[in-house]
Amino acid sequence: MCDTCGCGTPSPRTIELNQRVIAGNAASAEHNRAHFAAHEIFAVNLMGTPGAGKTALLEATIRRWRESGRIAVIEGDQATDRDSARIRAAGAAACQIETGLGCHLDAAQIHHALHRLELGDRDMLFIENVGNLVCPALFDLGERLRVVVTSTAEGADKPLKYPPMFRAAHIVVLNKCDLIPHVPFNFDEWTDYVLAVNPHTRIIKASALSGEGMGEWLSQLDGLRQSFLYATGSSA
Amino acid sequence: MHELSVARGLLAAIERNLKPGDARVVRVSVSVGSAAGIALDSLRLAFRVIAEGTRIDGAELSITALPARSRCTGCGILFEFGGMIGHCPSCGRLGGELLSGDELILRTFEVADV
Repeated sequence: MCDTCGCGTPSPRTIELNQRVIAGNAASAEHNRAHFAAHEIFAVNLMGTPGAGKTALLEATIRRWRESGRIAVIEGDQATDRDSARIRAAGAAACQIETGLGCHLDAAQIHHALHRLELGDRDMLFIENVGNLVCPALFDLGERLRVVVTSTAEGADKPLKYPPMFRAAHIVVLNKCDLIPHVPFNFDEWTDYVLAVNPHTRIIKASALSGEGMGEWLSQLDGLRQSFLYATGSSA
Repeated sequence: MHELSVARGLLAAIERNLKPGDARVVRVSVSVGSAAGIALDSLRLAFRVIAEGTRIDGAELSITALPARSRCTGCGILFEFGGMIGHCPSCGRLGGELLSGDELILRTFEVADV
C-alpha cells in the first residue's frame, strides 16, 4: 500500500548495500587470480604511456631471465600484432589482444586470452596494457603486481597529471635514463612527484636500451615472485 | 571512456542483488570519491546506455561526490581535499598517503514491484 495516499500502489523498497564497486568484471579478475595461483604464475600488469618503452623493457627482461621461454606475455594494443611479434622474436610466448576502440584491458579479455596461451612451465606472465595513463589504472586483471613504465622523455610532471595511474603502481620504472644528459628532465623533481602521489611505491631507474637498472628490475621481480610462490604455498 | 566499464560493474552489482519479484529499479545511489578518476557526467551517460533493456532501465542515478582524505607524509596530519591530489593545509606538502577518495560505492537502490 502506498504510504502517501493509500492508493494501492506499493512504494519502492530501498535495498542497502554500501559496497565498493570495481570497474569491469570483479568475478573475472578473481577467476584469473585463482588461475595464476593454481599454475604458480607470477602475473604482472605492465602499464604506461605509449612510447615509454614497455615492450622494449619486456624484450630486455626476456633476454635476461634464466630461460626466455619461461616468460609469457599478453599484449594489448588498439591495433596490430607488432608487439607480440617482437616478444616472440625475443624468445617468449605471446598472445595479442587487439582492443579496437577499447582504451584498456579488462579481466574478461585476459581470461579469453589465457585460453590461447600455454602457461605450462612459465615463471611469469606479463600483461602489457594498452598505452594509456588514464583508464588501465582502474581495472583489476587478477595480477599480483602492477608496474608503471614511464620515460625521461615525457618530462617530470606526469605523476601529478595522472595520479590514479601512479597511485596504482607497486613499482614505477623510469625508462630511457640513458637520455637524461640530453633531455630537460629533473630526476629529483620527478621522484618528489611520484612519492607525493604514492609514498609506498618503489622506483627503478632503468634503460632497456643500455641495460642500466636491469639488474635491479630483475632482482625485484624475482624477489616478489618468490614471495608470491611462498604465499601460494609452493616452494621456489 | 572507462566509465562505460565502471557502469557495467555497477549494473552487475545491482543485478546480483535483485530478486525475481523485483520488477524494476527506480533509483540508484552511489558515492564517488574525488580521486577515483571517474567523470560523473560520463558515468551518468554510461549508466543510462548500459541499463537499456534491463530492469534498471530508466532508474535515476543519484551521485554523491565525496572528498578524498590523505595523511601528510611530512607532518602526519589527516586532511581532506577535492580533486585528485591535495596540499597539506598545515605544512603545505603536496600529496601524501591516500586513505580514501579513490572509491565508487554502491550505497542503496530502490526497487518497485510494478
